[in-house]
Formats: sequence, C-alpha cells, structure tokens
Amino acid sequence: MKIKVTIGLIVFICTAFIFIAASEKDKDPYKPTYLKLEIPKGWPKPATNIFAGNPLTEQGFQLGKKLFYDGRLSKDGNFACAGCHQQFAAFATYDHDFSHGFNNLFTTRNAPPLFNLAWVPLLHWDGGINHIEVQPLAPLTAHNEMAENIDSVLKKLRKDTAYPKLFKAAFGTTLINSQRMLKALAQFTGSMISCNSKYDKVLRGEAVFTAAEQKGYEFFKLKCTGCHKEPLLTDNSFRSNGLDVNTYLNDYGRMRVTNDKNDSLKFKVPSLRNLTLTFPYMHDGRFYTIGQVLDHYRNGINTAQPTLDSLLKNRIAMNPREKAELIYFLFTLTDTAFVKNPRFSLL
Amino acid sequence: MVNRPPGKKLALLLVLFTGVLYSNAQHTSPLRVKRGTVKINLLNRVKEAPVVLDSSEYSNPFNETYYISRLKYYISNISLNNTQQPFTEQGSYHLIDAGDTASLHFNLDAAANTYSSISFMLGVDSIKNVSGAQSGALDPSHGMFWTWNSGYIMFKLEGSSPASAVINHKIEYHIGGFEGPNNALQLITLPFAAPLQVQPGKNIEIIITADLDKLWQGMYDLKIAETPAVMTPGILSKKISGNYARMFTIKEVGVL
Repeated sequence: MKIKVTIGLIVFICTAFIFIAASEKDKDPYKPTYLKLEIPKGWPKPATNIFAGNPLTEQGFQLGKKLFYDGRLSKDGNFACAGCHQQFAAFATYDHDFSHGFNNLFTTRNAPPLFNLAWVPLLHWDGGINHIEVQPLAPLTAHNEMAENIDSVLKKLRKDTAYPKLFKAAFGTTLINSQRMLKALAQFTGSMISCNSKYDKVLRGEAVFTAAEQKGYEFFKLKCTGCHKEPLLTDNSFRSNGLDVNTYLNDYGRMRVTNDKNDSLKFKVPSLRNLTLTFPYMHDGRFYTIGQVLDHYRNGINTAQPTLDSLLKNRIAMNPREKAELIYFLFTLTDTAFVKNPRFSLL
Repeated sequence: MVNRPPGKKLALLLVLFTGVLYSNAQHTSPLRVKRGTVKINLLNRVKEAPVVLDSSEYSNPFNETYYISRLKYYISNISLNNTQQPFTEQGSYHLIDAGDTASLHFNLDAAANTYSSISFMLGVDSIKNVSGAQSGALDPSHGMFWTWNSGYIMFKLEGSSPASAVINHKIEYHIGGFEGPNNALQLITLPFAAPLQVQPGKNIEIIITADLDKLWQGMYDLKIAETPAVMTPGILSKKISGNYARMFTIKEVGVL
C-alpha cells in the first residue's frame, strides 16, 4: 500500500514536471523553420555572412516577402520595394533609365537588379550602404522614392491584422520594430540567388555553348573578366569606365561617399547576369542597348579622364564580328528560372 | 524486493526537486559580483546657461547669435576605471536628447569597487556602424542614422542663426564618420576628484556638464557665417568632433 502511494506520488510529481515543462513551451511556441543559404556549386563563399546576426528562417523570409511587395512601406501606398525592383526584370526597373517615385519624381540613378546580394559587400552604385539590412532605409526615406519615415511605416504595420502574427512567427513575439522589419527584408532579398542561366549550365556541364557563344565567351574571358569576374561577373570594385559626367545630375559616384577625389566618377562594377532584362545600362541608364554599351568600350571611353580605370586606357578593340559574338555570349547570362521563380513572386 | 520506507524516497525526491530549483535559480542570476547604482546625470549648457530648445538665444565665440532647436548625441561604451578591475557597461548605448528629459539621466549597474575615472565614447563605435539594423538607442528611427552613406550621426545640433545665409537662417551640424581619417568618434575620460566607491545599497550620482560652447572652437574655428551646415562624414566632421570632445566636465559627485 505504502509503495503504491509512493509510486503514485512519484508518477504525480513527474507528470506535474512534464506538464509544467510543456506549458512553459506552450507559452513560447516559437519554432521557426531554419534555412540555409545554398551556395551554388563552384561559387566562392560570400566574403561576409549576411545572415550572421539574422538567422535565416522560412517565417522571416515570408515576412520579408510580404514587406517587399507592400505599398504601405511608402508614403502614399503606391511604391512598394517591388515597384522599382520587378521580378521579371531580375528585380531592376524594366525599360527605365530612372525609376518613378512619390509625387511623380524621378530617382537619380538606375535601379540595380537584385540577386546574389550575399556576395555584395557594399550596396548601391557608390557603395554607400555597408550592410544589406540597412539598405531599405535609403529608398524608404528618400523624398523622390518611397518618401516615408520609419515610425509611420511601423504604425501602419502594427495596425494591420496579419503583420503582428507574421512578426511573431518570424521573431518569437508580436513586437514590430524597425530592426525586425529590416532583418526580414534582408532575409528575403538576401535569399535571391540567380544561378541557372545557360552560362551556369555550361559551367556545370549541363549545356553547351553554340559556336558563336563560345567565341564570345573566349573574347569575354580575355577582355572583360578583369572587372566582370567569373562566376558572379563582377568583382564588386568601384571603377571609372570613362563615361563623361552627366551634367544634369553631376553625379561623381563613389567620391560622394569617400570625399576622395581619386574616387571621382567611380561606380560599382555591376554583375552582367540577367543583362538582357536590366536595360538601360550604366548608373544613369544612358545606354539602351548592349550594342551601345560595347560601342562605348570600343570607341566612346574618355581616355583623358584622370580617374579612368587602367584596364581601359586603350579602350577595348573589337571588330564587328567579335562584337556580335560577345553579344551572343552575353545573351546566355539570362536566368529565366530566377525571374519566374514563384518563391520570389507575390502570388 | 527490498522494502524501503517510502519516506526516504520522498525525501530523496524532495532533495532532487530542491536541487533542480536551486540550480535553476543560480542559472538565472549568474551575477555574483556585488553591485551598486551609479546615476549619470547630464546637464546640457551653453557656458553657464541651460540649453532650452527654441527659446533661448546664445552667442558663440565669434559673436554670432543662435538658437538651438534640436540637440542629440550618443554616449556609448561607458567604463569606470581603476588599475585592477575596470567596470564596463554591457550594451552601453545612450542617446542623449535635449528634447527628452528622460534621456538625460540613466543608471549604471556597476560592480562594487573603487574607481578613479569614468570614460565613454562620444558617438557609436565602428562595429555598430557596420553590423546592420540595430534597436533601442541605435534604432535608425531616432533620426541619427545616415541612410545614403551607412553610419551613425554621432552628434546633431540644429537651430537657426541670423549669421546663417542658408534657407530660413538654418544651422545644421550632423557630425559622424567612423572610418580611417574621417573617424569622428571621440573617447572621453573624466577623472574623479576623489576615488569613487561603488557599494551595494549606495546610490551614487555623477553630474556631468556638457558645455556646447565648446562646439565652435578648439580644433577648428566653426563660424556660422562660413559654415552653417555640415551634414556628411569627412575631415570637417572630424575636426568639429575634436571641438566638442572637450565639452564634458564632472560638475559633482554625490551620494543620493
């Protein structure tokens, strides 16, 4: 009898323990699905881990996606991130030299496409942004872009019925603050990897170039990879490619950030991936076609410019045949799977 | 089968149970060091006059009059120093805002010890300038973060002056920059007149005066007529930070 009582007591206490432990867990049902950023085969490791202080989760990614497509991040509701970063244009603005912002204003630089951002240490044409998480603050507060302020956006999100739940799923509580909003956006944009162009498939042995593409690739490796380094097709450096300053904008690029005159007219070397979708080209979108860009490198470079990159001092000689072959190669850089990937789409 | 008295088992269970509770309690309070409270109280002044936003007229060393409409600066990485075991506040970021009286004083939960000086950074250390989105005092919604050239504004004074020729006679000094030659971060050390003894149960107050009159001179003659606005990191920002770095003095140390 006494033994039975004792066993009963032990069972009771153990059950109570389990019950207490379980109810503790119920109070905090934060169980996000952790994700890992897949590094494509043959690619270098990103120089910095952009998710080091921002563990990548499915819930964080989905919250970031909703924010990215939400016009309420702008003052009048019309300008979501996705307004200027359109998936079908590899998240650049299709067919626009300058994007349109609040109150019919133009931006002052060509919207860059968004992909493979984990490999980009400094964002923007002038490298002024030092971390992916703080980048959205620039368009969000710019008077000619989303024209909003952070507190106002957060108020709108807190009033919404869906967001508190999504923030809880992503970060454990319903708290909505700028840090969480920015981290969620970084989880979405930082996850965008474009690695399935024909060029990638050829590198992986899954496809073969045509004869013309192959010749274009040989030329490319000889003359272009000094800046457009494989496989990301940029070395993320800042260089002047001999464009004269746009006298309306007077945009001297990286010099604005560093205050160093040696950085005058230097802009970030863009990746050439998805090139056919990201026209017009250059920081001010001055060239509408790839042909115009190549003509600039053939005979348009201002060789008297003091900060001109040393690799371009003699311009890049190419005959019409080489130019055509190079264009054939550049066409292989389009990643249709990426621009149609529903994971990055609103619906 | 050994027939043990059930009481023993119960006692054993109780001991185990208490043990679990005890280790939990220990786990949640690992701070075994004795601590005391040190209240930091900041008085923003222009020479002897208190900073009153929008309504008080001040005059700089170049006889230029001005009003202050906004004054904010960061104090971070606070330490109490001695030769053996200095105390460093964890997560030490404080935004001082002349428009928010609650921001002008805060408490340090300091290790009990004897200290000879207090030191802090006027500004935000470089790590937090490059580590993405922050919260609390470092939340970018406080208007102390440059969005187009990532980095914290370390010191911000805005207002107006008849000497300023820009729109609405504005003056705007947004000072920051954390990289290389443009590093505007200032390390301030203020020695105590007598050793500071932090003890449990003893509430100490340190009153620090910030004399904004120092903004205008020292490393660089900042004349409103010539330079009504500085809004970027750079050499000028750095020089001005060298001016205001001299603005702090300990007015009083007392026991509350």
